[in-house]
Amino acid sequence: MAVVVVTVVLFVQRVRPGVALVANARPSGRGAPTPDRITREITHVFLQKKLLQKLGPGLMHAFIFWGFIVLLPTIAEAAVAIVDTESSLPLLGGASWFAFVSDVFATLVVIGVAMAFFIRKVLKPDRFRGSHMGEADRILLLILAIVVTFLLWNASRIALGIAEVPDSRPVADLLSGLFSTGGSTEIVERILVWAHLLVILGFLVFLPGSKHLHIATAPANVWLAKDGPTGRLEPNRIDLEAAEEDIRFGVATQTDLSKKQMLDLFSCTECGRCQEVCPAWATGKPLSPKLLIMDLRDRVVAEAAGEVELQPLVPNAVIDQVVWDCVTCGACVRECPVDIEHIDTIVDLRRNLVMAESRFPQEAAPMLRGVENQENPWGQPASARLDWAKDLDVRVLQEGDPAPEVLFWVGCAGAFDERAQKTTQSVARLLAAAGIDSAVLGPREKCTGDPARRMGHEYLFQMLAEQNVETLNGAGVTKIVASCAHCFNTLANEYPDYGGTYEVVHHTQLLSELIAAGRLQPRTGVGKITYHDACYLGRHNGEFDAPREVIGGEIEEMPRNRERSFCCGAGGARMWMEEESPRINDTRFDEATETGAETVATACPYCLVMLDDAAKGKASDIRVADVATLLAETTLVE
Amino acid sequence: MNVVVLTKWVPEPEGTPTLGDDGLLVREGADGALDPGDEYGLEAALQLVEAAGDGEITLLTMGPEVAHAALQRGLAMGAHKGVRVTDDSLRGADSLVTARVLAAAIGRQEFDLVVGGVESTDGYTGTVSAAIAELLGLPSLTFARKLEAADGSLKIERQTAAGYDVVTSPLPALVTVTAGATEPRYPSLKGVMAAKSKPVETLSVSDLGLSSDEVVATQTVAEVSDAPPKQGGETVEADDTTPARIADLLAEAKVI
Amino acid sequence: MKIWVWADVTPDGPAPSALELLTKARDLDDEVAAVALGPGGTASAGALGEHGAKTVYASDDEVFSKHLAQPAVHALAGLVEEHDPAMILFPASYDARDIAGRLQARTGSTLMANATDVLGPDKARTEILGGTKIVDVELNGPAPKLVLIRPQSFAAEPAGGTAEVVDVKADVPDDLKKAERLERHEEEASGPRLEDAKVVVAGGRGLGGPDAFEQLDKLAAAIGNAAVGASRAAVDAGWVPYSFQIGQTGKTVKPEVYICAGISGALQHMVGMKGAKRIVAITKDPDAPILKIADLGVVGDLFKVVPALTEEIEKRRTGS
Repeated sequence: MAVVVVTVVLFVQRVRPGVALVANARPSGRGAPTPDRITREITHVFLQKKLLQKLGPGLMHAFIFWGFIVLLPTIAEAAVAIVDTESSLPLLGGASWFAFVSDVFATLVVIGVAMAFFIRKVLKPDRFRGSHMGEADRILLLILAIVVTFLLWNASRIALGIAEVPDSRPVADLLSGLFSTGGSTEIVERILVWAHLLVILGFLVFLPGSKHLHIATAPANVWLAKDGPTGRLEPNRIDLEAAEEDIRFGVATQTDLSKKQMLDLFSCTECGRCQEVCPAWATGKPLSPKLLIMDLRDRVVAEAAGEVELQPLVPNAVIDQVVWDCVTCGACVRECPVDIEHIDTIVDLRRNLVMAESRFPQEAAPMLRGVENQENPWGQPASARLDWAKDLDVRVLQEGDPAPEVLFWVGCAGAFDERAQKTTQSVARLLAAAGIDSAVLGPREKCTGDPARRMGHEYLFQMLAEQNVETLNGAGVTKIVASCAHCFNTLANEYPDYGGTYEVVHHTQLLSELIAAGRLQPRTGVGKITYHDACYLGRHNGEFDAPREVIGGEIEEMPRNRERSFCCGAGGARMWMEEESPRINDTRFDEATETGAETVATACPYCLVMLDDAAKGKASDIRVADVATLLAETTLVE
Repeated sequence: MNVVVLTKWVPEPEGTPTLGDDGLLVREGADGALDPGDEYGLEAALQLVEAAGDGEITLLTMGPEVAHAALQRGLAMGAHKGVRVTDDSLRGADSLVTARVLAAAIGRQEFDLVVGGVESTDGYTGTVSAAIAELLGLPSLTFARKLEAADGSLKIERQTAAGYDVVTSPLPALVTVTAGATEPRYPSLKGVMAAKSKPVETLSVSDLGLSSDEVVATQTVAEVSDAPPKQGGETVEADDTTPARIADLLAEAKVI
Repeated sequence: MKIWVWADVTPDGPAPSALELLTKARDLDDEVAAVALGPGGTASAGALGEHGAKTVYASDDEVFSKHLAQPAVHALAGLVEEHDPAMILFPASYDARDIAGRLQARTGSTLMANATDVLGPDKARTEILGGTKIVDVELNGPAPKLVLIRPQSFAAEPAGGTAEVVDVKADVPDDLKKAERLERHEEEASGPRLEDAKVVVAGGRGLGGPDAFEQLDKLAAAIGNAAVGASRAAVDAGWVPYSFQIGQTGKTVKPEVYICAGISGALQHMVGMKGAKRIVAITKDPDAPILKIADLGVVGDLFKVVPALTEEIEKRRTGS
């Protein structure tokens, strides 16, 4: 009894600082029990959905996790049996189904631990680079000790003949042969039950200071994860009229972190699945999403414990470069079994660096200036937004005109970049051929603000969002088709926060629909073709099929496709930052080359430019083109 | 170290300017910003004042209300106060009028250094700063691509046709800074917010003690006509014959 | 009516601009004089006289080269007051600009910058909007009218003749000697200067980075008597120094042949090279504005065309 009390006291004492950190953190504004949230809690936590994205390690963990859940009542069983050897739990104690289940699951845990050691000691995947392997080993051994003592305890009870429903415990029964029926086993039985309970209590004390705390934090972290597409960033509203102290400029110190961001830090189990898929890490950059979270966590803990002073997290927890390396592709968020949302924290750190400190890669300053002064990242005059349309018959929506059925949002790349202009022209011609009533805003279109927002200049984004929403609402627009995946994501998922709610489709979605409805001819292409899934269309918004339908025919898929697509390297405003070799786009292009394809199809102007740059840099003959261009070529007569 | 930085609001620096009926560039209603050329000078001033450890930067501009935006930008970057001279009589001011107005405004305060850009993005005359220096009796160190101030004197690397000269002068002086001499800082949002509460003074021609004669421009546009279009060129797709074609052209021009 | 020319002089002689301006001044009037202040001043009188100066106001005093602008303005203002010229033509050199600007403030004269032609004693001409529009400007205001002429607006032609040299006493107050030149540095430039080269090879944004300029260096070397320049985009990007810049805010060049690669032809750039006798443009953009003024426009990959061209020229040179 006393032991339990001491354990609980120690546990509470050790967990209190962490709880305080989360309790005192800024509210995340999430947590309402929506159907999505409830579904996610069930599938991610109880059904281990994200863990099973990697089948082997997933099963390994599932065995241990499910075993843990099932075996919880056996802790009470053991406690009861300590008090009185012969006693057992009411109800469950005599239930043969429970005995069977706990026996089987305990064994599965043993198998799980064995698998874990196999992965860590024999396979040794690179995702563990930087993780605390020693601590992990200790945790696994403690888990093993718990279930082994459990099985052996039951085995000894069977040997002594005091076990309830012994026939329902096949494994324990097997092990009972290890024990004699005599008096020494009585002592052994006592030792085992005490050992079992003491290991559990010891584990409880050890838990708060280790990554095993995730068993408490992860379910909460999954609960607080974002509803809706992962491409959406939550607003950090800036009111310039307010007093400076009342405005939050992103995250500077740990006191600026939200509850979710704080929980993220304490949910990480250092599994490294995020690190494994990060394009920055894969090309030798210092950013690893796992190490980012670990470094932030370590700094937060040390500051909370008074070991170091409260300082800005950048550069004291992580260096500036790490914050800028991110392409916001979301591969890390997709893989994370405990729903850590690395991008939200990275962007919040950027917000502070840009808006409060003006400390960011200077080569991106012209982009911010351009967005600010000319409302586009290239600083081109608004009057040039229709240059792509000069030989086409495109309706330009003037003020006061009736709204079109679909507003074609061209985007800055589509308007000013000569390669992307070809996509814009193809889309316009296809819409016309299909008889769609569409129009463009022309010079009234301003940058959606996506590059500014991903860069961290939230205020600049806010201004543009408000202005664009005013234009769109004023024009009575209800449906928008965007030919850029970033514009699409921002218009669909982020503009509603600023009063702009429209039906937003990506051009590949609209084209696919039109083909299916017979309003456009399907593509008749020859030659091998591969498709590069754009992060902001695919992973962030779940659209993988529409572009493939537009391409039609057989696609030579790259190994990393669909949800596992490897970024082109332009996201996160990195299109306007310098990157050191080896470059992300070159790496991806190499992967495309290996498919043997002659054409790489894209669905976003950034991807188009990045992969085409890679092709040119390697003097490759492979053609890079948007799916709309590929469709227009074979289905539209000149 | 107190510095006065000359700034100008220019219409759409990246865009294509248009001519009005009076033959002058259209400024009203056009989108515009602080002349990018001035930012190099302002950045140089900010660095000099930071290195000196103390001092104030005053931004000075001549222009209508829209020019206020140029001042706000400079204040957001770190300048301490702004002065804007505006007057109906100044519309169509030429370089000498501009110089007189700015010199009069500068003369109203204490300063160690006046900083200007080499030439404005819309006017390109490049002589206003020199005229100001003459009116104030200051040495003019123009085309500086690198600046250093110490012990009451300024040392610059002055761009020349052959390379550069090292030129020095005691302060007070006037300096013009070439494009690319510094990397202008991007103002933080906090800087933009702080700019709103920094003092900005508005002055008229009479506030400066100038008579109306002194602000009359001495140039008028007589005629604007189209230049003759360039004749006969052809455009071809690159192929294997291209190097020979270009080489033939060079041979015809007798340069190879 | 007296038309004066400010002559930039060095011990090596008068700058070509002085001879060009004198040739133009002769057109406007007979009474042409040159002002040549600084070491080499009196020695330049021969060439200046040959190109039309009847009088050369000269001084060899090093005060004019050792100190920026102010001594020259002081002496020039004195000459102006004494002789009352109707008009003074200045070249667009770094020094002459400052002198013209300062003189304007002192005398209250009209100063027109960036002129491409002088049409009369009170009328001058300039080009704007990338050279697409010609603007004639009336110079009202008191004499002398000051005109800053864009480089290479006129061709220099000797007329024969000698000039009377009038010695100018440099009585410069100390107050005007504050700005002092301590050192002169020549920057590494192999080959002719941009302004003098018969052929200019220029690169722009399309080069993608500083390394590609090596290709242009090789081409220039193969051609010989060629200089390498750049558009503002390449300079702003930090790929080459400012001294390479050709354009409205850079150098004006008028070579026999101007070859550019990866330059789209922004208005500001075209101003600096429009006067080239022949223009060859290599770009991947079929809609690039530069193609409209090129004598031979090539739409293609510069990374293929430039090396191939270099090879072709080398072949012809060695006769293989």
